[in-house]
Amino acid sequence: MRHELSVMMFSWEFPPRVIGGISPHVYFLSKSLAKNGVKVYVITCDFPDTPTHEVIDGVEVYRVDSYKNPAPDFATWVYLMNLNMQREAAIIVNKIADKIDVFHAHDWLVANACIGLKHIFRKPLLATMHSTEIGRRDGLHTPTERMIHETEAWLTYEAWRVICCSHYMVSHVKWAFGLPEDKLSMVPNGVNTNVYEGISKGSLREFRAKFALPEEKIVLYVGRLVYEKGIHVLINAAPRILENVNAKFLIVGNGYMKDQLLNIARSMRLEHKILFLGFVDEATLVKLQKCADVSVVPSLFEPFGIVALEAMAAKSPVVVSDTGGLSEIIEHDVTGVKVYPNNPESLAWGVTKVLLDENYSRYISENAYKKVREKFDWNRIAEQTMQIYKAVLGEYSKSFWA
Amino acid sequence: MRIILFSWEYPPRVVGKLADYVHLLATELVKNRVDTYVVTYHDFLTGAVEEPNGVKIFRVANPVRTHVGILTWVLTLNQEVERAAASIFYQVSKRVDLVDVHDWHFIPAAVTLKNAFGLPFVYSVESLEDHRSPPANTPYSMSIKSIEWLGFYEAQHVCVKSEWMRDEIVRIHNVPSAKITVVKPTTNSWLDNILFMYKSVAGGASSK
Repeated sequence: MRHELSVMMFSWEFPPRVIGGISPHVYFLSKSLAKNGVKVYVITCDFPDTPTHEVIDGVEVYRVDSYKNPAPDFATWVYLMNLNMQREAAIIVNKIADKIDVFHAHDWLVANACIGLKHIFRKPLLATMHSTEIGRRDGLHTPTERMIHETEAWLTYEAWRVICCSHYMVSHVKWAFGLPEDKLSMVPNGVNTNVYEGISKGSLREFRAKFALPEEKIVLYVGRLVYEKGIHVLINAAPRILENVNAKFLIVGNGYMKDQLLNIARSMRLEHKILFLGFVDEATLVKLQKCADVSVVPSLFEPFGIVALEAMAAKSPVVVSDTGGLSEIIEHDVTGVKVYPNNPESLAWGVTKVLLDENYSRYISENAYKKVREKFDWNRIAEQTMQIYKAVLGEYSKSFWA
Repeated sequence: MRIILFSWEYPPRVVGKLADYVHLLATELVKNRVDTYVVTYHDFLTGAVEEPNGVKIFRVANPVRTHVGILTWVLTLNQEVERAAASIFYQVSKRVDLVDVHDWHFIPAAVTLKNAFGLPFVYSVESLEDHRSPPANTPYSMSIKSIEWLGFYEAQHVCVKSEWMRDEIVRIHNVPSAKITVVKPTTNSWLDNILFMYKSVAGGASSK
């Protein structure tokens, strides 16, 4: 089959390797592009017991040995991984006789490989900036953080077009790297609503009983246990919530703050109310999201907020902090509840309101579900992305590289 | 014949003995009618220039200024080396016979260019990590050694300056000795030997 357009995407994570939000993003974006007739190659890192090459719904996935070179630290590992990624990609592009129209990088973690390939094969490079170091760390404090920031700046400099998932991120990236307005495009993140269909709350009674008593409401947090995600705000809000509602807090995810958070829970004598589940598999996560009486996204910095979308798709009411991409996804009192960021009292108010008022809770979750189906559909996102590819290729065709 | 030399030092940037050696090599190659390009690093004297001796030099700076070590510094700089080499490659209608990479710093670029363009490279060894930082067993040294190994593995041929170095490479990196040529820069036949080696490497590439 002759394809009109072919793209080679780079991501350091791709299922079953899941670290953060880039993995599902690249997975669904590449599949939806393939469904729309785009030839998609994904170059990503290896994962135990996973093939180095496979075709998933038309997407050619290549997994690169990411531990080929011993590395003294994480950042150096990233650059060494890029060395092997670039080498493998060069072999593939050479093998398919340069039939690649665009390179598409996801975050700084693949910057080196993509930038080199752009110049070697003289094809346009696009970059999706899922996050920034300066945002994650609320400033740049160490040489490593500055180096990552400069690598991000370098990637956006080399990219023909920079894609961000929210208007907030467009403005943030524009500020962080001094980019011109016309270099930036907004394409929202999507969510796969299908995985949540056909699971009724009733069928999950037994599953639910493993985590909470029938009289306990489930408050769900899904995310890495790191500062920027504001999980400590939720833990600090727990006693205030428990004053009015009998609830169980389920915390899914891992991170460097875990021990600290466990200590806080212990010192508040709430170990029996706050359950740290660590990393859970996809099927369990979907069921937890279906069971949740409220899903909380208390982030301090949030480029997009895909967990909020997932909760909306699962018809679980959401309480989010009014920041970043979350501010754009949620309409207060219509599709969810917005609270002040980094404010446990405000968060406790929002969670309590949802848990105590069932009509309100049903109203916002039904609206949220409708919104997700129409606005954050992967097919629509793939079409928007293709429009950007085509616009870039139109400009490229007039350049001396063409 | 047209070749590109990669070296992380070239006058006026002199770190050790390599800069002067590569300068001498480039100058002599031009005298022997080899179209010679040098891709090297300089913090601010960037861009393409032709020197009075006829050597064409393309200097690149590091796009990332803050670094946590030599490895990250080298690995971001390599993308600029690739950009420079690709610019030369397209400018001369892809007629480049080989790359001669001096020491490990720009091996990543040489490896990618080889796999992307089928452009063979020679790895010229000035020194090894095992001798620079004995016993070379820190994570940094192990990492640099793995890049040296990649260079030996992917290179069409290896060029060294002494029998001792050849034996060390065989011992440390298990490279077959037939892949290594010893060229002593102090002998009269020095350049002829290098040209002979270049021709044997380029022969494979230009015959396709």
